[in-house]
Amino acid sequence: MQEPSNEIALLCMAAQLVLENGGETYRVEETVLRMAKGFGLEDVSVAAFPTSIFVEVGGTARIRRISRRGTDTTRLAQVNDISRRVEHGGMDAAQADQALRQIASGAGVSQPTLILACGLAAASFCLLFGGTLATFAVTFVIGMLVQAVQPLFSRMEMGVLFGNFTGGLLTAILAQAIAALVPYGNVNAAIIGGIMPLLSGLLMTTAVRDTMYGDLVSGIARAVEALLLAASVALGVFVGLKLIAMLGGVML
Amino acid sequence: MIREIFISSLGAFGGTVGFAYMLNAPRNTVLPASLTALLGYVLYFMLYRVAGQSLIFSYFFATVVISAICEIEARMMRMPSTIFLLSALVPLVPGYNFYCAMLALVEDKGAAAASSGMEAVQIVAAIAVGAAVSSVVFRALTRRAASRRR
Repeated sequence: MQEPSNEIALLCMAAQLVLENGGETYRVEETVLRMAKGFGLEDVSVAAFPTSIFVEVGGTARIRRISRRGTDTTRLAQVNDISRRVEHGGMDAAQADQALRQIASGAGVSQPTLILACGLAAASFCLLFGGTLATFAVTFVIGMLVQAVQPLFSRMEMGVLFGNFTGGLLTAILAQAIAALVPYGNVNAAIIGGIMPLLSGLLMTTAVRDTMYGDLVSGIARAVEALLLAASVALGVFVGLKLIAMLGGVML
Repeated sequence: MIREIFISSLGAFGGTVGFAYMLNAPRNTVLPASLTALLGYVLYFMLYRVAGQSLIFSYFFATVVISAICEIEARMMRMPSTIFLLSALVPLVPGYNFYCAMLALVEDKGAAAASSGMEAVQIVAAIAVGAAVSSVVFRALTRRAASRRR
């Protein structure tokens, strides 16, 4: 019998890519089983959690630790495409290996694009919460700044938490400071808009979806992550509001 | 009223475009997903604010429609439906309510925290169930279509 360890490594790589880029847990398992079918492997088991993956084929198992969790739907689409081609025999192990490696080493979204997208998202969301045209402009700037400082935290331990905290802090301070200089209307709408790009309620929806598909552990884990992130943003905003209030008290 | 709907549909559209780029959505999915989001948000707005339907029903119904459209788009463009769904649900997803709950917690307002937290949980449940309903129905339909073809 041929040693399947090479294929197992491939399955693991695909699973890791799906998890790291925001795929639901059932999608990870679906991808692995589909590729395993294409490789002609039998007796495959997968267990995926937001923090780790276990793939076992005929007594040989591999474990991968997942430490980075984001959302990159282009990568999800590419991995999905590869897994389907492997399933239908349109791609052998070597080709799949190369294609997956290429996806993994791809650059993702560039920082300038992210900054612009974040500004646009922030500014648009302030419209949903009663913002005016002037608020739109202010929130656009705030959103861009919030995203611009995020790379400072990307290499830090607990970087996402600090990034979110700073985002909330920056938004609260800027929204009020700009309002003090140029009254532009609804400060609350600007704050809410500014932090919307950080508050991925998506995580919470994925959590509930995971739970409903029977991935109870993943569901709870994601829900906790979502609450923690929301808490760090809220704490940032709270500190920002307090600081400005104190400063205002001193100056008046 | 019309003006309000117009402004919020602009907001929903722009917000989804921004989010789609942040999530690195494939370029050709950005426009369909954002239009779907716009439609879904307006539907929610009409149901909840104009027709005075309940919170859960409005979110549930809007999500069912959004995710049905996303499933169709996904099949037409041969991509996982998650890609469309992740962007298109953005304006409905209650990040704001979770933030309110957390802010109330740090401000030591227990009752306010509980009420916005509960509201967030209601909305999330309605959205998740709505998306699941569409996805399960579509899976069953396509499976039946596939077996008939054989």
